[in-house]
Amino acid sequence: MVDPLALTLLSLVLACALATAVLRDVLGAIIAFAAYSLGISIIWVVLRAPDVGLTEAAVGAGVTTVLFLLTIAKTVRPSGDRLLVSPDPKGLAVAALLVGVLLTTLGALPPVGSDATPVATSEVTEYYLENAYKEAGVKNAVTAVLAAYRGFDTLGEAVVVFAAGVGLLVVLNKEVFE
Amino acid sequence: MSTDPEDGRERRLYVESPIIMATVRVVAPFVFTFGLYIMFHGADSAGGGFQGGVIVSTVILMLGIAFGIEPVREWLDPAAVVAVVGVGVGAFLLVGMGTVALGGAFLDYPVLPITKASKYGIEFVELAIGVIVSGIVVGLFFAIAAGVTQDDDETDREGGLL
Repeated sequence: MVDPLALTLLSLVLACALATAVLRDVLGAIIAFAAYSLGISIIWVVLRAPDVGLTEAAVGAGVTTVLFLLTIAKTVRPSGDRLLVSPDPKGLAVAALLVGVLLTTLGALPPVGSDATPVATSEVTEYYLENAYKEAGVKNAVTAVLAAYRGFDTLGEAVVVFAAGVGLLVVLNKEVFE
Repeated sequence: MSTDPEDGRERRLYVESPIIMATVRVVAPFVFTFGLYIMFHGADSAGGGFQGGVIVSTVILMLGIAFGIEPVREWLDPAAVVAVVGVGVGAFLLVGMGTVALGGAFLDYPVLPITKASKYGIEFVELAIGVIVSGIVVGLFFAIAAGVTQDDDETDREGGLL
């Protein structure tokens, strides 16, 4: 884990996350959040998960930023001379505690790129990698799992997106259906 | 409610920057094609319906930011956007239940009477997912943007509140 690329990316992501949390200017925080998403998406690509990286870049860095910008265009931004917010000590303590608890699980994770991870050694993975092209006819095993082997799950996901979206539209603006 | 985009563009400009408008005019078709590529080509490389749908929907977001959200909203009826989402869910269900009706399991593509049924079936399902996702993103964009430009002229509000 002394890969300079990984170290640079991780420090960028951490810095952006901190900036998002402590910047007092909402616009600045949104820009920092977009940079954070961009860093995360590059990390996914480095970890050889281009599908997830693409999603993070499109949704996290793209659409969410636009929606946040629209939201602050309709709300009042706090003005003041201070650049950073002073964090609430109680909230900070809870956040630190949560991070501490989560950090205790880090030791149980296999090293990045290890060939002994359950994901790499599981016979389910083996089966998908060996049979996806023959049975589903597509080269991307992720797509084969999503749209063929686990198609019913994907239908559920699509319906969840549909239901959540329509519900939000009803809450945000009823006129859309009239 | 005007359905003519040119008319809408002339009346109210959101960002009155000819550079942004020209850039969006040039870039939008490429982004749209790239989104479709991600959607269709997801079967053979990274990508898929969810990612491609979001990229396709960013075309509408770009148009809204460059030419004004209200004109784009008038051009693209929000009710039609929501209907399109329903069509996406229906198309997915049609394929899934169609294979059941033809005597197979859910999404059992090989029972479909077409060549390379599995590949084309998967791409059709990805397209349906893309339609759902892009419809929802555009709908959210319109819903959240409702009223952003209302202080420009209050009199026109009943025409395009959303």
